[in-house]
Amino acid sequence: MRQSIRAAIRLVLLLGLAAGATGCASVEPWVKPYERQYFADIVMSAERDPVAVSYLNHVFEAREGARGATGSHGGGCGCN
Amino acid sequence: MDPARRLLLACCLSLSVPGVAVAVATPGSAAPDFSLAARDGGKVRLADLKGQVVMINFWATWCGPCRQEMPLLAQLNTKYEPLGFTLLGVNVEPDSAAAVTWLKGMPVTFPILFDTDSTVAGSFGVEGMPSTVFVDRKGQVRYIHQGYKPGDEARYADMIRSLVKE
Repeated sequence: MRQSIRAAIRLVLLLGLAAGATGCASVEPWVKPYERQYFADIVMSAERDPVAVSYLNHVFEAREGARGATGSHGGGCGCN
Repeated sequence: MDPARRLLLACCLSLSVPGVAVAVATPGSAAPDFSLAARDGGKVRLADLKGQVVMINFWATWCGPCRQEMPLLAQLNTKYEPLGFTLLGVNVEPDSAAAVTWLKGMPVTFPILFDTDSTVAGSFGVEGMPSTVFVDRKGQVRYIHQGYKPGDEARYADMIRSLVKE
């Protein structure tokens, strides 16, 4: 009885491991070169509220005593 | 190892290898056939163009170099069309409205096809934007050019000239 439970646990573990390993198998570019417009989609933006963002950036710049170099625009599609 | 365990191991191994082999166009291989809706309302099928030198240009309005080379491609098309040459501009955007609007201000006379679900771009294994595929009169892929820098149009012309002579 105990042995069969142990075997079952081992089976579940092994299956889980194998399923997890599929995550590393083919991570090729998810977005193909001809699909790069999806990067420029609004949902790809981490900062969607311009008013709140400008306020936060103002506070951040005052605190750091520096401004600019906080990132770049666009998602790598070369479209803006 | 008992058979049950061996089977289990095989299952696990097969789970961890989901690699999919996708056949893509390479120089020397036959060009994958396609049929796409064109800007003028008709349909264009690659197989129907056998006997002609076909240059397939994958482009999008969000791609700067693609927009840059478009007028030059139009010039190439008008120059070499009488020699049995066809240029196909394959737009890869899911929504072709931007392309239609942008093309209104362009002197483009060659067929623009809409690959809205990217199946053709996928079957040609487009690895960069723009990508330009040269297909010879027999329907074989001969040369694939990726990207565009000013001056590349001379290489396009060389390629077209050598293929048209065959």
